[in-house]
Amino acid sequence: MRNSNRFEARQVALFKARRWRLLSALLLCVCALSATARADDVTLDVAYDTLPVSLDIHEQLTVGVLRLAHLAFDPLVRWDRHLGLEPRLATSWERLNDTTLRLHLRRGVHFHSGNPFSARDVAWTVARLKRSPDFKAIFAPIVDVTVVDDATVDLHTHSPFPLLLNLATYIFPMDSRFYSGERAATTADGQSQDKAAIVKGGDTFASRHMSGTGPFEVTRFQPGARIELTRFPGYWDHASPGNVEHLSEVAIGESATRVAALLAGDVDFIAPVPATALSRLEHAPGIDLITMPGIRITLLQLNQRRVPAFRDRRVRLAMNYAVDQRAIAKHLLEGFVTPAAQMSPEGYAGHDDQLTPRYDLAKARRLMREAGYPDGFEVTLMAPNNRYVNDAQTAQVALAVAAMLAKIHIRVDFKTLPKNQYWTEYDRRAADIMMMGWYSDTGDSANFFEYLTFCSDSRSGTGQYNASEYCNPELDSLVALANSETDMRRRTSMLRQAEAMVYADAPFIPLYWQNLAWAASDRVAIEPVLNVMNMPYLGDVVVTPRATETHSR
Amino acid sequence: MNSLASKASSGPLTNTLRRLAQRRRLWLCLGLFVFLAGAALLAPWLAPNDPYDLSLVELRDSLRPPGWLAGSLPGHPLGTDIQGRDLLSLMLYGARVSLAIGFGAVLLQLLLGVTLGLLAGYRGGRLDALLMRWADVQLAFSTLMMAIVIGAVVKAAFGGAFYGHYGIWLLILIIGVSEWPLYARTVRASVMAEKRKDYIEAARVLGFSAPRIVLRHLLPNTLPALLVISGAQIGQAIMAEAALSFLGLGLPETQPSLGSLIKSGFDYLQSGAWWITLLPGAYLVLTVLAVNLLGDAWREHLDPYRAPIALSSRGG
Repeated sequence: MRNSNRFEARQVALFKARRWRLLSALLLCVCALSATARADDVTLDVAYDTLPVSLDIHEQLTVGVLRLAHLAFDPLVRWDRHLGLEPRLATSWERLNDTTLRLHLRRGVHFHSGNPFSARDVAWTVARLKRSPDFKAIFAPIVDVTVVDDATVDLHTHSPFPLLLNLATYIFPMDSRFYSGERAATTADGQSQDKAAIVKGGDTFASRHMSGTGPFEVTRFQPGARIELTRFPGYWDHASPGNVEHLSEVAIGESATRVAALLAGDVDFIAPVPATALSRLEHAPGIDLITMPGIRITLLQLNQRRVPAFRDRRVRLAMNYAVDQRAIAKHLLEGFVTPAAQMSPEGYAGHDDQLTPRYDLAKARRLMREAGYPDGFEVTLMAPNNRYVNDAQTAQVALAVAAMLAKIHIRVDFKTLPKNQYWTEYDRRAADIMMMGWYSDTGDSANFFEYLTFCSDSRSGTGQYNASEYCNPELDSLVALANSETDMRRRTSMLRQAEAMVYADAPFIPLYWQNLAWAASDRVAIEPVLNVMNMPYLGDVVVTPRATETHSR
Repeated sequence: MNSLASKASSGPLTNTLRRLAQRRRLWLCLGLFVFLAGAALLAPWLAPNDPYDLSLVELRDSLRPPGWLAGSLPGHPLGTDIQGRDLLSLMLYGARVSLAIGFGAVLLQLLLGVTLGLLAGYRGGRLDALLMRWADVQLAFSTLMMAIVIGAVVKAAFGGAFYGHYGIWLLILIIGVSEWPLYARTVRASVMAEKRKDYIEAARVLGFSAPRIVLRHLLPNTLPALLVISGAQIGQAIMAEAALSFLGLGLPETQPSLGSLIKSGFDYLQSGAWWITLLPGAYLVLTVLAVNLLGDAWREHLDPYRAPIALSSRGG
């Protein structure tokens, strides 16, 4: 679109000296030409807050990189809208035993380079993932990959590991032939380099070249600023309704600017949508706003090491009864959060519908009396303040919680800090109550427990963000047991039991899951391709071509 | 008879009275200022409730409109903010904070500016050059930017927690330090002009010490100018505090000033809750206006060339 405008401008400059009529006739011609060019050429302009700085999808583990991976590559399986798993390059799978998962791969798939896709590419990709600094921790459970035949591959784990399929959502098979071999010496030091090398922020072959099986090929790449993609003519998924031919993604860091770009029609789709723009976008004509209960839990951790009173379960329960999550969601963060009373969001194995917010002030006061604190006590609270980001107004939330706890005579001295300063304070456990936001990168409940409730152990890294300093070996062993249980039904009931134990023991105050929000022009049927993992599958998006718009310009 | 009576009425007492009556603007501004500042000072007795007592806050009452609109709650004549706190109470307490910062910062500016200005003007030479170049450098930056830099340095040095505790004092310090050159310049200029005059020479010849000359002879002559600047500067300081709070560099949410109240309401302006921003905004504007006009009226009052009664008696 922008190119054609520039073209028109040049025409205008050339014919400036000529007569009016000739000029306007010519302009009309140009418009008509560009309109016909666009009719069979569906474009989609997207603005995100950030874009990847490298084309190597194993260099960094960020949402931005995974989004790009979904465009240029295909995962073995992917999450659908209801957090189920959908076959992609793996068509079916079976458990051979407790430690082996067999995947049957799609046949007749080709990479952008023309190389055919086979089981060897999967094995090669997993081996590369295990070398990637960002991904190797996630892929530690996989000890071996064996190629059975061209279209069958076995994943082996050391001990029973139920989440292999969740891991498979991170496996985007790469073109092993394309990425193998020595790269000619281009760097200053004159050293040749392995094409498969992964260097963070470095100039590698993979950071500049790409060959995947995905719906789009990258045609232009400005690290961190702009990515232009064109649909891959040999894409295997003929069932995909997606009709976008040219996809262009730009990074607009300033959220107000991002919203303005959508409202002005410069881009067709934006993410994330800032909270302050929600009501405005909801009422904007021609704009669709889509929100979804997210998977990121925000909670307040009650540090038992700093505050002796928090070691009393009745005090922790009283605080849970005093905080009204529904009121916070309704009055402070309307439409932007879903009130929570447990860590696992809906759709996760551990989620239990019975565990609901339990606001009851009378009960809270009674529990405080029983615990021997009728006059309460004083505590400190710290929370990040996202004034500039404005995703959720955590400072207001902290103030509301302080007011709610004041009603059971707990006097909260609270401070809010900018995010980057907050995390150093968090690591020092600088306040009695710390605000924490967490989402499970495995898409599984156990991850919440491992990081937020497990007894802190610096050697194994468990309980790394357990600022409650809560330690319940019984809970830990239950979750550990679930982690080696490959029977999904039994595993689910174990995780639910674990959530119920935490609910009863109240080591923290769960507040809400942050909703996700996207906004798009109404000519983009965006809703069917969105999911709570925040990775829009733009390969499948259907866009109504911009046909009439050119005439109005 | 008639002409005699009118002659009699232009005695000194009536003259003063008439003069004061003609200063209606001065009185009006003074009245407005006394009203607004008085309400702020008496906040603990006037406010419907104590906004700093969090146990009185009901989140369920949040975003209620002022009393004359539908959906309002009794006991909240100006409505509530996003947390359900009473807006009138917040405004009165907030104005207290704003005024304390305004006056405090100007006092500090006066102290710094007058001391350094007297020193520079009287001593001259190298000290003068040094101080004035320093002032030049500071004046080259905008006040707000200076304040942000000083605030960031203080925050980095002592941590955010410290900043939260001593917010008011720090804001006074920040705004005070960032605006002193204005006073220093003015004082220096009048000292330079005065010190060549005969009476200073005479004082020097009589052997008076330098501090005595500076404090007893030079300082009083700079006072009228200082008073005039101060009127504008108090308003300026209140606005600077509001701007800093608006940028999120001001006081914590639990003790909002007028500026941070305006800021906190800004996010809800588009969803229809205009009162959180506009009412404290109006209070702020009126206060600053009153202070500014007061300074202005005072300047006219002190200006010998613009004293109409005194001049008219001499006629053409």
